[in-house]
Amino acid sequence: MIRALIVDDAAFMRLAIKNMLQNNGFEVIGEAANGLEGLEKYKQLQPDIVTMDITMPEMTGLEALPEIMKFDPKAKVVMVSAMGQESMVRQAVALGAKSFIIKPFKEDVVVRTLNQVNALK
Amino acid sequence: MAGNYSNESMLDLYIFETSNLLEQLEHSILASEKSNHISKDDVNEIFRIMHTIKGSSAMMLFDNIASLAHSIEDLFYFIRENAPREVDCSALSDIVLEGVDFLKVELEKVKAKDPVDGDAQRLKETIADFLNQLKSQNPLAEKVPASRKETKAKSAEKPKDIPEKIEEIIEKIPEEKSKYYIAPNITKTPAEKSWYKAVIFYQDGCEMENIRAYTVIHNLKEIADKYIFTPEDIIENDLSAQVIKEQGFTVVLRTDKSYEEMHAFFMQTIFIRELKLEQIEDQEDEPVMNQHENNLTPQIPVLQTAEREEKAEKEGQLSSSSSAQQSIISVNVVKLDRLMDLVGEMVIAEAMVTQNPDLKGLQLDNFYKAARQLGKITGELQDMVMAIRMVPLSTTFHKMHRIVRDMSKKLNKEVRLEIIGEETEVDKNIIEHISDPLMHLIRNAIDHGIEAAAERVAAEKPKAGTITLEAKNAGSDVLIIVRDDGKGLNKEKILSKARQNGLLTKSEQEMSDREIFNLTFLPGFSTKENITEFSGRGVGMDVVSKNIQTVGGSVSVDSTEGAGTIITIKIPLTLAIIGGMNIKVGNSRYTIPTISIRESFRPKESDIIRDPDGNEMIMVRGECYPVIRLHTLYKVNTEVTEFSQGIFIMVEDEEKSCCLFADELLGEQQVVVKALPYYIQNFKKDNELGGCTLLGDGNISLILDIQSITRLVKK
Repeated sequence: MIRALIVDDAAFMRLAIKNMLQNNGFEVIGEAANGLEGLEKYKQLQPDIVTMDITMPEMTGLEALPEIMKFDPKAKVVMVSAMGQESMVRQAVALGAKSFIIKPFKEDVVVRTLNQVNALK
Repeated sequence: MAGNYSNESMLDLYIFETSNLLEQLEHSILASEKSNHISKDDVNEIFRIMHTIKGSSAMMLFDNIASLAHSIEDLFYFIRENAPREVDCSALSDIVLEGVDFLKVELEKVKAKDPVDGDAQRLKETIADFLNQLKSQNPLAEKVPASRKETKAKSAEKPKDIPEKIEEIIEKIPEEKSKYYIAPNITKTPAEKSWYKAVIFYQDGCEMENIRAYTVIHNLKEIADKYIFTPEDIIENDLSAQVIKEQGFTVVLRTDKSYEEMHAFFMQTIFIRELKLEQIEDQEDEPVMNQHENNLTPQIPVLQTAEREEKAEKEGQLSSSSSAQQSIISVNVVKLDRLMDLVGEMVIAEAMVTQNPDLKGLQLDNFYKAARQLGKITGELQDMVMAIRMVPLSTTFHKMHRIVRDMSKKLNKEVRLEIIGEETEVDKNIIEHISDPLMHLIRNAIDHGIEAAAERVAAEKPKAGTITLEAKNAGSDVLIIVRDDGKGLNKEKILSKARQNGLLTKSEQEMSDREIFNLTFLPGFSTKENITEFSGRGVGMDVVSKNIQTVGGSVSVDSTEGAGTIITIKIPLTLAIIGGMNIKVGNSRYTIPTISIRESFRPKESDIIRDPDGNEMIMVRGECYPVIRLHTLYKVNTEVTEFSQGIFIMVEDEEKSCCLFADELLGEQQVVVKALPYYIQNFKKDNELGGCTLLGDGNISLILDIQSITRLVKK
């Protein structure tokens, strides 16, 4: 099972992603409501893959991403962004994000993205 | 059963979270309006809230909600990025609050499963106008990397418009290298390098193709020492996504990797639909598309500096805001209700075991020891469940800020709302029932109570009226007090109005002030001639009273003419389980809430007094208390009619006391309050009963409502 960590400040989004993942053979091993919590959970749980929202309180996804990459250069982080956040997604890619999902998303897009990212070496 | 609960509906969570966010938003905007300054934190917060609502709503396919949230998000994006110096806080608040109202209405439709069809076009235009106005008032802002829409528009016109900084950096790069990007970590000029040309097509609907292409380039840096790509403006121009969609993304690169390795590399691309990869014959110095020189490196340092600035900015906030994590989970109320019921059943079951008739006369030391332990744990469990259901009144209270603001603006009165004791907690069910009545009382206070500024000044009162909303605990009740310093109630007016409507039940001279004021709670009563949009047509106060009564509470009014009105709502802390004293009268069982009992005693015949009307009273420590014989009150046959054979229980309620006469006390116990069946409620409305409960021995006991019993005495 692919072990996933979901980082998003909106409980609704976390539930949406969680449902999609659990329906498709992922194991959601943790959820975090902001970047800081996400970073801590990453260190603690060492998930296979992370979905990371960008706009969050305390610490944004763009701030948490380099910290995670510093801790684990092989981390597989997929950004969750909205249309209109192109420049931030680009920054995230430059910082090491493996791919991204665009809200509102469909189940198959999420699952395919995460499966493919997980398959990356 | 557990499975049912773990699968909470997305819709529930959506409604819950969105309404919470809206409340939070309302709170921030009202706070900044009051201080006439919108702080950076507030802007960030509002932006984030709108961003979240937009995302969630789009997922739920509530497009109108998402698009309105998007326009407010855009507005605050501009304010956040450009920090315009002059923002009309009042106008901004109006717009945001109007938006909040729209979203709330739509959310109600979602809750009611009605079609979510509100049209926010007009509101969106207002927001766009406001944004344009802001932009024109703050022309400086244009130079700062502007809002997303602008960037898009600009780059659409002239796609090669790269920010100055980057161009400067490009110029600084040594001539020789400026043609191709040369990866810093790969040594130049190994022997067997070959050129490849790759064309990548993405799957339909994967979106942001330009950034996906950028991901490829980003990864390519590690394996290729030279490369060029087209379209070349994937970084600056988001419209290049369209080009990639139609024509694919083409990269020409030089690397020492084999064809197979490169094929594998490109096939890793996420959402790739088609890859055309070919090896190009050696053309060391003449790449195919040399006119499309591009350079990635300069972009990176720029991005990073921008980021560092942003980070430094954020760091200040981070350290100031507490990083204490909230370890709170949200639970569906249905589950809590169920838990409450279960605990109630358990309390009864416990009593059924420990007070089982089969145990009578047995010597069971160990059993009772274990039973006491069970009783202790049951008690703790029950307290815990109660505590879980308790919610502070603060949210409900803070909602009133909005009402006060809107009304004082419309009625042109200056009103201040003061909140005391917002941390007081009451049962979740109760909270839901008091929000509307409170709103009504506040509206009434502003509309009818607080005078216009001129009138206040003439009466030597401060120009701004004050409404105080206070909550406090009083025994097993919570008092919520709405106090205004307005003109107060006019007894004469109330009486004449009541006379007109035939609401008087006794002679006017006999009525106490309180009774007169309480007339305002009767259905169809209103003293205000000109009805305004806010306080209804006199259906208000009786609805308030009715709402409060459904949760077992009561409302009372007190007023001093010229000085203001005080409305006190008394509600029970919790509804379900109370400590009760079980008593026996004949073959019937009754339960008196322990909290109302002052003492119980066996009277001496000599203490009994009879007044000229034949009412019985008893003298206790020099005070006289009326006596109520429960067997006569409820017409129960009993052998115990002599005072010396039975027992007196002194009960009190709001400083009124009386003594109840019963056969004997059966013992104290936690009882689960169940509502009386409808047929009894309908049959006898004024029955002095608060409900019924099941005793440990299987008998049903009626719970006495002490408040109405003490009232009997006055009649």
